[in-house]
Amino acid sequence: MFRWSDLGDVNFGRPNLGQNVPVLVYRLLQYTLKNVLVDEFGSDKANEIFIRGGRLAGIHFCRNLLNKSLPLEGFLSNLQKTLKDNSIGILRVESADQDEMHFVLTVAEDLDCSGLPFENKTVCQYDEGFISGVMEEYTGGIFNAKEIDCWASGDRVCRFDVRKE
Amino acid sequence: MLEKNNEEILIAELIRNINDLLVGKIPKQVELDEKSNPLLNELRDCINQLVVFIKEIKECIIPLSQGNLKHIQISSDNYLASPFKALHSSLLHLTWQAAEVAKGDYTQRVDFMGDFSNAFNSMVVSLETNENLLKNKIAELKDAIDHISTLEGLLPVCAFCKKIRLEGTDPDTQKNWVNVEKYIEDRTKAHFSHGICPECLNKYYPE
Repeated sequence: MFRWSDLGDVNFGRPNLGQNVPVLVYRLLQYTLKNVLVDEFGSDKANEIFIRGGRLAGIHFCRNLLNKSLPLEGFLSNLQKTLKDNSIGILRVESADQDEMHFVLTVAEDLDCSGLPFENKTVCQYDEGFISGVMEEYTGGIFNAKEIDCWASGDRVCRFDVRKE
Repeated sequence: MLEKNNEEILIAELIRNINDLLVGKIPKQVELDEKSNPLLNELRDCINQLVVFIKEIKECIIPLSQGNLKHIQISSDNYLASPFKALHSSLLHLTWQAAEVAKGDYTQRVDFMGDFSNAFNSMVVSLETNENLLKNKIAELKDAIDHISTLEGLLPVCAFCKKIRLEGTDPDTQKNWVNVEKYIEDRTKAHFSHGICPECLNKYYPE
């Protein structure tokens, strides 16, 4: 079972190299792992595993780095700032219906997918899981985030439809 | 000869469609001609797709320019429309943020939108500063009003020494009677400085 402490003390463990690695290295890990999972289990199962991984990451990210006591608007600002501060992506809220718990979000300069070619298919399964996990940890409900569009005018931007199930 | 003629007709139709697009018209789709050269049919498909994409852009950009942000639909495979999707998304985001600021959430910030970010973020900081100043001023005024209100009503005063009895206390206990200076200083921001009026000067210092 994953624990936040499994990530180790990076400052202690990397006194010279520090916290940061190039995005390329992160993607090398993610996409090679995905490739093996697709080979082993097929793309549907691999995508499902990535969503589950992203969800787990989102839950622990929210639990450890976000302020869950804030009201929704403040929480979304907190999420936006934390994603930016950690160079994960530029989050923007297009709409937020608190009664229905339905949100439309975009992520630009995304750590996972910005700069990738368009291939008429969604690639952000990990992000879908991550966003769902964050909202689940914050609200206590079950969420489903789905990439519904992406575009590029320079950077690639992905749009997610996020709903409480 | 006939086949060549058909191809020339198809090419002429495609050129006409491109010319229509160049002057802002949306042309009709060019029908498939099974007998035509496959390369020409591929070109026809591309131009038809281009027409569909430009039609979508045209249909979204007018309501967008009028500020109608809802109900704008551009298909997900229309990458030609990317700058308009980005503009639509930014406007939706800014509308949401402005609504949140209007509700009093001053934590909202616009990131990476150039001059607009600076202007919007400065505006939010100014709004928060001004609101805090107003809140402080209101609190000061409320405090002053509270102090003033304690001096309203009937004050029991000694007919001889002019001491005032503290509200709700026993009139027979001497410590409940205080000097008028102390009474007022305790309840207002006023302070007393002592002097002698001409009448008292003559009375107490006749020389």
